[in-house]
Amino acid sequence: MPTIGEHVEVERRPKLGGGGPGKIPNPRGFGGGDDGDRDRREDFRSPKQRLNRMRLLMGICLFSVTVLFVVLTLVYLVRLVSGRYDPDAQRQVQDWIPLNLPYVQLWINSLLLVLSSVTLEVARRTMAKKEEFAVMGIVPPAAKREVPWLGITVVLGFCFLAGQILVWKNLQHQGAFGRFNPSRPLFFLVTGAHAVHLLFGLAALLYAALGARLWALRFDSQRIAVEVTSWYWHYLGILWFGIFALVHFARA
Amino acid sequence: MKSQPNSPQANAKPFATGWVRHVFSTDHKVIGRQYFFLSLAAVLVGAWLSLLMRIHLVWPKAAIPFFGEIKPENYLAYLTIHGTLMVFFVLSTVPQNGFGTFFLPLQLGATEMAFPRLSAAGFWTTLVSFLVLMAAFFVPGGAAGAGWTQYAPLSALANAGPGQALGTDLWLVSIGLFCLATILSAINFVTTTIKQRASGMTLMRMPLTCWTWFVTAILSLLAFSVLTAAAVMLLLDRHAGTNFFVPGGLLVSGKAVEHAGGSPLLWQHLFWFFGHPEVYIAILPAMGVTSHLLSVFSRKPVFGYNAMVGAILAIGALGFMVWGHHMFASGMDPHAGFAFSTLTTAIAVPSAVKTFNWVATLYGGRIRYTTPLLFSVGFVSLFITGGLTGPLLAQPSLDVYLHDTYFVVAHFHLIMAMAGLFAIFSATYFWFPRMFGRMMNERLGRIHFWITLLGAYATFMPMHLLGIAGHPRRYSDLTGVQYVAAMLPLQKFVTVAAIVTLAGQLVFLTNLFWSMLKGPAAAANPWECSSLEWSRPGPSLPQSVAGRKAVVNYGPYEYGIVGREKDFVMQDDPDTGERRSAI
Amino acid sequence: MAAALRMVLALITLGCVYLFVAHPLWFPAGVSAESVALDRNFAVAFRVLGALFIAGQLVLALVLMRRPATAESKHWYGNWRIEIAWTAAITVIFFWFNISGGRLWSHEIAPHSAAGATQVEVTGAQFQWYFRYPGADGTFGRTDAPRWAKADEGNPLGIDPGDPAGRDDIVATQMVVPVGHTVELQLRAQDVIHSLFIPAMRFKQDAVPGMDIHTHFTPVKVGVYEIACAELCGIGHYRMRALVRVVSEEEFAQWLKGQANR
Ligand code: HEA
Ligand code: HEA
Ligand code: CUA
Ligand SMILES: [Cu+2]
Repeated sequence: MPTIGEHVEVERRPKLGGGGPGKIPNPRGFGGGDDGDRDRREDFRSPKQRLNRMRLLMGICLFSVTVLFVVLTLVYLVRLVSGRYDPDAQRQVQDWIPLNLPYVQLWINSLLLVLSSVTLEVARRTMAKKEEFAVMGIVPPAAKREVPWLGITVVLGFCFLAGQILVWKNLQHQGAFGRFNPSRPLFFLVTGAHAVHLLFGLAALLYAALGARLWALRFDSQRIAVEVTSWYWHYLGILWFGIFALVHFARA
Repeated sequence: MKSQPNSPQANAKPFATGWVRHVFSTDHKVIGRQYFFLSLAAVLVGAWLSLLMRIHLVWPKAAIPFFGEIKPENYLAYLTIHGTLMVFFVLSTVPQNGFGTFFLPLQLGATEMAFPRLSAAGFWTTLVSFLVLMAAFFVPGGAAGAGWTQYAPLSALANAGPGQALGTDLWLVSIGLFCLATILSAINFVTTTIKQRASGMTLMRMPLTCWTWFVTAILSLLAFSVLTAAAVMLLLDRHAGTNFFVPGGLLVSGKAVEHAGGSPLLWQHLFWFFGHPEVYIAILPAMGVTSHLLSVFSRKPVFGYNAMVGAILAIGALGFMVWGHHMFASGMDPHAGFAFSTLTTAIAVPSAVKTFNWVATLYGGRIRYTTPLLFSVGFVSLFITGGLTGPLLAQPSLDVYLHDTYFVVAHFHLIMAMAGLFAIFSATYFWFPRMFGRMMNERLGRIHFWITLLGAYATFMPMHLLGIAGHPRRYSDLTGVQYVAAMLPLQKFVTVAAIVTLAGQLVFLTNLFWSMLKGPAAAANPWECSSLEWSRPGPSLPQSVAGRKAVVNYGPYEYGIVGREKDFVMQDDPDTGERRSAI
Repeated sequence: MAAALRMVLALITLGCVYLFVAHPLWFPAGVSAESVALDRNFAVAFRVLGALFIAGQLVLALVLMRRPATAESKHWYGNWRIEIAWTAAITVIFFWFNISGGRLWSHEIAPHSAAGATQVEVTGAQFQWYFRYPGADGTFGRTDAPRWAKADEGNPLGIDPGDPAGRDDIVATQMVVPVGHTVELQLRAQDVIHSLFIPAMRFKQDAVPGMDIHTHFTPVKVGVYEIACAELCGIGHYRMRALVRVVSEEEFAQWLKGQANR
């Protein structure tokens, strides 16, 4: 009597089938996820699994954010290089008026952003440490000393945004380029998109900092929120320097 | 409740209670069904609009019962909303977010999506987006009228026509929300596929449906973030005085336009950089469903599983490099035409490979002629028919003549609209027992199939000839150009065929709702399918049953096994150990 | 069911082939120099793709065999050799097709000698086409539509009255061109995107605001042909119609003179 095994063995030679019967290759890792591999559905909510899931989520988000900013950068550069069509001259003309960037303000903003990354990193590390001890039952699992650090990060984030508003205001009052010059709207577009993303980060940080108070957020959830938000935050910091470099170097 | 810090109960607090819990549920099964009904509403509105369009084209004076006469200026609004609804709210919604949210965790052996609340957020955002789109019909000027592609500057200037004011704003807001919702759900799909697979469920043991959902989610992440950016930029142009898409020196409706220095082609590049991947977002899950069902019902493994996966990946990657084939006549540098034409030809190859593999899967099978199989075969047939005009349109020299004629309308209705709908239908008939616990009626299903198959060909084949004879698309009236007016008889034929096809859908709707309420109860695995969604018994209503620990021992398509009491092996059937000696 | 499905697929194939062979509607007769090569390419395309269409549908019908209830279905995972063979085959067909079409395209976009060409500037405006001829001086006057355009005063394009080159420009609402000479077009749009579509010339090109697009075609047969707008431009898109009148050289000269004297 033929068995599955024999049958498959014969037919499988050009190995094209989807997996086919066989041993579980690598029960963990690449060979499969972990959701089906547990007895209690509560494991789905275990802090470790949740942290891993959220990290992946953040990675994917950053992928999407990257795409967005790559496109905006391309739009910026293409507009810069190609110029505008002049019907009278019957050719493309360069109409890009380089911005008179308020560098002092921009550097102050950059500094604020770097500082906020540092304070956030402090909060993240202490929380990660505490989580380890909390799991062992050594310290009570509650955020105390971290909250101020988160608070400082939020304040610095808002300062950065306020600084950006100053930059925009400054540019708005520069009359040099007529109403239609592309350099200013494009600057607003790119930095504005960055600011909007930063607002999301601020919301997440506020949620993490105030969560325990307002929504009875548990410590491990709090810690996860801080962990992934810090990825996001650092990434936005790097992105900011990319944008800064773009607006500084790409000028006609 | 005072609980240990890390005890699982603490966070397992239900999201809400009572009926609210069923409506605002985070259960993937509930959300999948919610998406299903949302798309059903969207497809009914979209189909109704297409009916109005068809009638207006050939009988402009006809009065529709309960509706009255169709005003000529409404045609473009109907056209735009028809395209938008069908592309976004039907084909990008139900195959991916509807069936995907429901079945991806089940097929992977997971109990839930990775982020249940994200699923819910995605659905509710989509619903709001849908309502915003529908609201556009009721504002002054009516809904947007610049087509689903919203080419600037027509879409950027509020005084360029009726519907270009508030209607277009609502369109843009709706699409922005839709992008957001799709990105949320795409993140969820990718994480779920990577993280939540049962042990033993290797990537190469996933059913092809999961592969297509996975790749589609990645495409959505890329494509929809670009569309979001484009929509925001267009909104800024309209309201914040920026100049991305509007050049200078324009005179619209006797008024000078207060813009300068923008480029209309920029919109087209951004839109199609999204738009072409979008059409593959629409069709990939449909392809996955077809592969799955052909294998189940021919009782054979999918032919060339690895090649199928490779083709899916190739389509996904190449899909981002061909957008220029929509712009051969747009004034883009004609030399770019060569590159886009070659890449487009390249993307037709994996599509053809998939077709060959479908045919080979059927070959030599003991085919069970159920309604889902019929629709899957219909999908293959329509995909061949609609797809073969693709390489023709990919030729710049030929496309320039056919561009923006009914030939293109025929191309995409066959390959996208009809093939896509056939896959939705087959998935509905196939998964209905799992989604609603009852069987659909086979006889009505077959009647529905014959009407729809013949109707699809009768409606959309003649459109090729209209296009060849030079009938431009998006004409709200046939009397403006003489040679177009001469095509009225064939247009009438198309309208009649469309009416018959649409009437045939009443059979489907009857079957759907009757079966939902009164259909015979479904067996646990009515189609003898080997993938995991059928491996767990039980009602399909809220929170999944964990029941059995899923350990996957077999590939997804082990059909046609001889010498056992059933001719297939369930993916999580126990490992018999026999095979180890054999291998 | 199997038999019915096979029969219907065969019938559909037959019906579609009949539709294309009997073709109740087809290309209008080509009247430009470019149309000959293009029509040849179309004929090749329809044959090749038609053959693939017939093959595809019929093979699909054929594999839907009803096997006897006792027969087993093949437990067959696939075969790389077959896989590679059909991939190679379809690649060859598609790329051969692509390259042959590419050759035609490079021919069409190649620069051509402008000697003896008729210059026409085409402007699309909601919902009207305007055709401008440079007049005796051979140059077009400057335009500024927001400033000068007044359709009721005979200056719909907004030709700058201060520009001497514009004084003798001729603006017409139909395109009149001499037979046998290349027509050099310069496409513009005043408000939104339009598309100049002349089916009989096998000609189509978008007119994009903010751009000047230069193309050309060569009419070879005297007659009157319709122009349609092929890019959605608003409510009157469907009636944005105009005519091309292809006339003999003498008639063209006469027409120009008549216009200039107006
Ligand atoms: C699901 C959607 C979908 C899919 C899958 C496709 C698939 C393809 N499309 Fe299509 N397309 C659209 C949706 C889609 N399209 C839409 C919506 C538009 C218009 C948008 C608008 O303007 O509004 C459009 C427009 C469009 C254009 C622009 C036309 C124009 O406006 O001028 C072009 C040009 O290159 C094109 C090409 C292709 C090609 C080459 C494929 C290829 O991928 C096709 C590959 C498939 C095959 C080649 C069939 C394989 C079968 C065989 C080979 C048969 C042989 C079999 C046997 C013998 C057994 N498409
Ligand atoms: C999925 C996509 C889709 C679908 C299904 C359809 C379906 C139909 N379309 Fe549509 N159409 C588009 C996408 C689609 N269309 C797009 C993108 C455009 C371009 C818009 C633009 O130019 O901007 C367009 C444009 C368009 C035109 C061009 C108008 C013009 O250029 O002037 C016409 C004209 O005849 C037309 C007709 C029809 C008809 C008669 C149907 C009929 O076949 C309808 C028949 C309907 C059914 C068979 C569906 C019934 C389904 C159910 C009852 C339930 C199933 C659902 C679930 C289970 C969830 N459509
Ligand atoms: Cu002008 Cu359409
Ligand atoms: Cu495309």
